[in-house]
Amino acid sequence: MGTILHAIAGYFFLMIVVRVLTRRPGGQMTLSDFVLVFLMGGVIILSTAGNDRSLTNCTCAVITIGLLHRMVSWAKIKVPRLGAIIDGTPIVLMKHGQIEDEIMRGMQVQRADLEAAARLKGIPSLDKADYAILERNGGISIIEKEEEGDS
Amino acid sequence: MDTQAELKPVGDNVPKVDGTIAVGEDLEFQRRWWKFEKVVWSFFVLLLIADLAGALGRGPLANAKRETADGTLQVKYERIQRENTSSIMTLLPGQAAVHDGKLQLFVSDSILKEFGAQRIIPQPETSVVGAGGVTYTFPATSTPMTVQFELKPSFIGLHPFTIGVPGDEPVQAKAFVLP
Repeated sequence: MGTILHAIAGYFFLMIVVRVLTRRPGGQMTLSDFVLVFLMGGVIILSTAGNDRSLTNCTCAVITIGLLHRMVSWAKIKVPRLGAIIDGTPIVLMKHGQIEDEIMRGMQVQRADLEAAARLKGIPSLDKADYAILERNGGISIIEKEEEGDS
Repeated sequence: MDTQAELKPVGDNVPKVDGTIAVGEDLEFQRRWWKFEKVVWSFFVLLLIADLAGALGRGPLANAKRETADGTLQVKYERIQRENTSSIMTLLPGQAAVHDGKLQLFVSDSILKEFGAQRIIPQPETSVVGAGGVTYTFPATSTPMTVQFELKPSFIGLHPFTIGVPGDEPVQAKAFVLP
């Protein structure tokens, strides 16, 4: 009983903390992100399992978290607004080749992150990019400028 | 029988940027979210400050001391405790509490149940159950004397407790057990 309640509290608490940590630009984990994941996971497991390290207790905790995850995924489909709250929405970082400074600051994205995303798409520099969009998973999509004279 | 999968046409109802790129951006929501983030982080910082100060247990604000009016017994305890986390309750009886080389202390049942007393230091000579608690007897000589209870509460909430020397005014107090 206690484990199930602790697992529910831990799931939602971690969800809030991870959500307000802002999206990691680039969508890939760095070494410092690993520190965060392992440390947070390790700390929260202490209160979830408590002193009862039996297979029964741990199985119940895993099932609870799995069930919660399914319920949240189902709720996100049913209520799109909930999806925006939990995962955020895509954000335009660059429009018509102009960087949106307010958005970049708010999302803690650096110009270097945009340049890296452009290079990954085979675009040599940002002045050849038309749009940059920070996706919900933290990835940055770059849309190249159309060549002049293209029809 | 002809089975037909349920098909749904692709609706292009995602808000577009400049009428060309379907992003589904919601800047108004994002700005509100940034404000919400600031509130959440401010709350987290306050929570950490409260923890450092001991408002969440195990710190200066959590430490409490109660004494009987005649000074027969002084009790040092943590007014805010944490579930399944050990804390020490220290009893400092005065010389008036000792009779015939024996010190008797009454503790209410809540110390044993709600606050989960694990150990008593020193070990009592006898323990007698009754009157909503247990009366312990310790061999004693002269002050200063210290009796310690190691507590490990397993019931969340506000719990009252009573500790005293039989025949004298007891110390009555409450402590809150956090999850």
